[in-house]
Amino acid sequence: MDADKRRESRSWDWDSPHCRAQLDEIFFRQHDYIQAGSPEHKEFWAFFDRFQRFKTKRDMSGSGATRREDREKGKDRRKTSKVDLGLPQEYDARYRINVSVCTRDIEERLGRTEHRSKQRSSGPGSQEISDCRLALLHFLDFSQRQSFGKLAKLRREQKNLPIFQYRDKIVGLVRSHSVVVVAGDTGCGKSTQVPQYLLSAGFDHIACTQPRRIACISLAKRVSFESLNQYGSKVGYQIRFETTRTTATKLLFLTEGLLLRQIQQDKTLAQYQVVIVDEVHERHLHCDFLLGVLRSLLADHPDLRLILMSATINIKLFSDYFNSAPVLQVPGRLFPIQVIYQPIPPEEQSSRTEKLDPRPYLRILQAIDQRYPPEERGDLLLFLSGVAEISTIQEACQVYATHTSRWIVFDIAPPGVRKCIISTNIAETSVTIDGVRFVVDSGKVKEMSFDPKAKLQRLQEFWISQASSEQRKGRAGRTGPGVCYRLYAESDYNAFASYPVPEIHRVALDSLILQMKSMCLGDPLSFVFIDPPPAASIQTALTYLKEQGALDSCGELTPIGTLLAQLPVDVVIGKMLVLGSLFNLVESVLTVAAALSVQSPFLRSSQHNPDCATARQPLHSNQGDPFTLLNTFNAWVEVSKHVKSCDMFDTVSMYVFIYLSSTGEGTERWRLKEVVQEERLGGAATRNAPSGSDREQRRKRLTERRKLHQMKRDHEQQEGGKRKVLRLDEGQDGEFSSGSDTEEASKGKKDKTEQNIDIQEVKFKLRHNVSELQEAVGVGQDLSSRQQALLKLLLCRGLYPQLALPDEHNSTRKDSEQVFHTKNKQGVVIHPTSVFASDPEVLHVPEDDNSEMGPDRKDSSRHQLLAFVTLLETNKPYLSNCVRVPALQALLLVANSVDSNADCTRLIVDGWLELELREPEEALKVLSKALTLRAELERLLHVQLQQSKLGEAAVQGMSRRSIEKLGEGLVRFLLYTEVTYSLRRLTAFQTQNLYIGPHSDSELSHTNAPGLSLLVPGGEAKPDPIKGGLSVTNFFTYNCLTDSRDLYSECLRIFWSCPNCDLYMPLTPLERMQHEASCRPAGEQQQLEEEPESAKTGPSSMSSLTRVYHCNVCNEDLTLTSTEILKHKRQHMYSAK
Amino acid sequence: MEPTTNESPRNTFTCQLCDLSSPFIYYGQKPPNTRAIVLLEECFVTKDPFSPDKEKFLVLGSTCSLCSACVCVGSDCSLFYTKRFCMQCVNKHLDQFPHQIQAELAKRKHSSKAAVS
Repeated sequence: MDADKRRESRSWDWDSPHCRAQLDEIFFRQHDYIQAGSPEHKEFWAFFDRFQRFKTKRDMSGSGATRREDREKGKDRRKTSKVDLGLPQEYDARYRINVSVCTRDIEERLGRTEHRSKQRSSGPGSQEISDCRLALLHFLDFSQRQSFGKLAKLRREQKNLPIFQYRDKIVGLVRSHSVVVVAGDTGCGKSTQVPQYLLSAGFDHIACTQPRRIACISLAKRVSFESLNQYGSKVGYQIRFETTRTTATKLLFLTEGLLLRQIQQDKTLAQYQVVIVDEVHERHLHCDFLLGVLRSLLADHPDLRLILMSATINIKLFSDYFNSAPVLQVPGRLFPIQVIYQPIPPEEQSSRTEKLDPRPYLRILQAIDQRYPPEERGDLLLFLSGVAEISTIQEACQVYATHTSRWIVFDIAPPGVRKCIISTNIAETSVTIDGVRFVVDSGKVKEMSFDPKAKLQRLQEFWISQASSEQRKGRAGRTGPGVCYRLYAESDYNAFASYPVPEIHRVALDSLILQMKSMCLGDPLSFVFIDPPPAASIQTALTYLKEQGALDSCGELTPIGTLLAQLPVDVVIGKMLVLGSLFNLVESVLTVAAALSVQSPFLRSSQHNPDCATARQPLHSNQGDPFTLLNTFNAWVEVSKHVKSCDMFDTVSMYVFIYLSSTGEGTERWRLKEVVQEERLGGAATRNAPSGSDREQRRKRLTERRKLHQMKRDHEQQEGGKRKVLRLDEGQDGEFSSGSDTEEASKGKKDKTEQNIDIQEVKFKLRHNVSELQEAVGVGQDLSSRQQALLKLLLCRGLYPQLALPDEHNSTRKDSEQVFHTKNKQGVVIHPTSVFASDPEVLHVPEDDNSEMGPDRKDSSRHQLLAFVTLLETNKPYLSNCVRVPALQALLLVANSVDSNADCTRLIVDGWLELELREPEEALKVLSKALTLRAELERLLHVQLQQSKLGEAAVQGMSRRSIEKLGEGLVRFLLYTEVTYSLRRLTAFQTQNLYIGPHSDSELSHTNAPGLSLLVPGGEAKPDPIKGGLSVTNFFTYNCLTDSRDLYSECLRIFWSCPNCDLYMPLTPLERMQHEASCRPAGEQQQLEEEPESAKTGPSSMSSLTRVYHCNVCNEDLTLTSTEILKHKRQHMYSAK
Repeated sequence: MEPTTNESPRNTFTCQLCDLSSPFIYYGQKPPNTRAIVLLEECFVTKDPFSPDKEKFLVLGSTCSLCSACVCVGSDCSLFYTKRFCMQCVNKHLDQFPHQIQAELAKRKHSSKAAVS
């Protein structure tokens, strides 16, 4: 009968798209559960084909017989059962599906088509419709089973986690104790499960901190998924400037640094009920500090629940710190691990500068191949100390792997092939890698240490601690019994330290101390840290912050310090931002600051690639590396404007650009901009879009965003769930992941890069308004030489005191042997990635300009210094991210200490650089100019800071013009000062006898007479109590150097006429400088008057320049200008004599 | 904090046999956004968390038509054959089920035993 019907509608063809479309009209209309064109719809038709084939096969094998048999059995069963279940007698798979598709409207249609089918039309007959419906039912049932299977599996996995059986215990402990320590090794499930246990136990407002941003995002995703999105937006993450947090958020993953910032705003942390601090064993600076802050905060917020989660390392320390808090230790799921000590023989041990010898590692690979059959799966995890070591070993392993075809490096290995993962200590506790059976432990780790005296960072290799060693071993026993090869002797192991040195003992504490100050935590030396840092470290940081002007002499925050504490960047970069916002250079400074605060976008490994070098060439700026970064960023934005995604990149430049987008420079920049705007620094930067086109633009942007979101979703769907199985020939181009937060893109093998670039770009565009960025870049692009000079000054002032002096003999040395000196470290070299490593000539003093004055003295007007971002010692001390600046000008404008002799021809800067100017007249002029410019800069900065507190309104009119004026003055000073001088570093001996020191009754004593303490802008010139001489401003001390050629030149008066006013009289150098500092050109005085600030002081044009001066001789308060004061004093002086 | 504590047990489906538990958003035969689709039994339904499309539903379980036990749809816990039966009831009345089902259950029992031994 079935066959008859099928014959009847012979014109029906299931494979015809037309016929299928007709059924789509019935089952998959636009408002239906599954819509035509959707992915499910596609899946359905694929399913349909399989289903039809299955049916045909079953029909052929003749199920009729079984059916009859079934009927008979059914009769029997009626008799035996007590209860009649009323089940249908004939089995049909259809009865096992609990879904039906409501067919009322289809039946209507059916009536019509049945009619038609009798007339042999091509529409679907009732048979076709019911076939399709049946398939649909089976399809729905199938997808239900599939999803439910996943859910069941997820729940099973959750239950199987070691931590699951402690669920109630954990909740109970948290209810009864304010602090609980949960200790368990990686993979026990603490990070994902504990927050969920608390959520389902009814806790609200849970914060869970993570040391890494990427962990915040992935944990939020994972927990949200595991809780089946039941909490929807209730699970979120928040990292610097990026958040999914809403008012409904109950569980928030955030970075430690961010929680600290929140505490800064909300002293008692009232917004949270529970704070979980995860990975406390990693002992990061922020984490240690956070624990200290939370500890003192618990007193003010007794209801707060604090949970510390740790690997099983040094748990007692944490428990003791919190008043013997209860510890819940979750035993790990660990299989037995065989430990094999295989110390490296002396002949294969490499010295500090040599490459690592790969032989010991290859022997282990070989041994594994010999001992374990390839059918026994199990991958190898190799712990090395750093990137260079990884690439050395990786190269060697690759050769071995190609040779044996038994190994592969990264991702999932095909059966019979082992994967070899080479990692730094990052894989000890922080990354979970499945399938590892063998571990090779080099026993080494590279750690950053900090020398507070030289302010030098050192990246050195150390033996690991026993704790790390055990963690590494543990990675072999996660999925089954494993083997750990240790490339050291058991006696070495016994000599290892028990625990790694916490970061707080190893790094510069500048930012930490600044933050402590801004959180009003009192004296940093008496703060109760879990493991207090050395007092010397704290002291160094305090001194540094004072030098930087962030703290005043009493150690209290200055206005700029307060601002810097709020900026989530390094003090140095913060300073640049503040300065950049003063001048009209925000866009460029933002880019540079962002680029400097993330990893370099330039790959070290690609440096040896000649094509790569050529591609980069046009981006290079011999002004300095920050300018190269700026060019690169601008070029990248420019390129992404003109061409669609990746087709424009040749593979080489692609490396550059993909790194830019993936290391998040753009992102970082964007974030910084937000901060700057938030802090109301960016007054000039925020141009208001014309309001008419505003809405239009917003709408366009919205549509664009929607499209991008769709692209991202599609990409995720494509990628989602698919596990990558590696091909053996892949990944041999020397690629490796860097093991940092930004490693995502670096995993991309060459052939996958294109796809990667797309999604990176989409993600980037999602986060940022690219057209706005392009506009901003347009502003920042093609800096004029004036802007460039100014930008350099800002960078230099930010970076100060990180300055390096080129060695005087550099011009006679090879390019690769150029040497530099910093104040505290001699003989440093430029990092090979820096532009000055390849182009050192630009730092040399031009030959023709060079008139020899003696064996050690080169006079020139073109001496230069390097301002650098980092001084890092690896095998040599390297300067990286350098920018060159004109020496004299830069020093006078940024240095904290400038000391002069009597005629100002000899200057000592910061006690280590000596400048000798040839012409006294020129010397006086340049010094005087610098003093004036600096005073104005300080004044405007102060006003700006004041205003950033008060609000933006007042800024605009007030100082725009003075800022432009100052900018111009600075540029002129930087670019057109033609003063001939020599520049050299003082020897240790010379620095001992620099100053005359305080003098009581020497010949010069009359300079200290009260009558001579002249008023200068910003304060009174007082005798310097240590150096001697007169401290004229907070950075300039006059005539304090011992070797003043002429003891009387100080009081020697030379006739001088002021270019601004009609003053013409004999003045000492100091008097002249002081006059110049206060006397302005007539035009400028007019302007000053217009400023609202001066309006406050009084209406008369003179009033802005006058001040109240108390004359001790007359014993009277006089209102005079500086010049008048000078004249007034002289009057007394002459009469006294 | 209070509302959630009260809320959560009310909206959580828990299988009485395997203890699987999960929050549900709907109980009945016509989950939201299902259009032409109707369930043939009263079910505990949630949004399908594994579907990128948020509109999809997922049946977690229902009540046994004989003993009214709350059971999940997992094949170890229940079976649907025109009605929902929990595994305990199925085993009690095994002879009333068609032999296809009996064979299938026997086979599964066998294979799970094999896996254990």
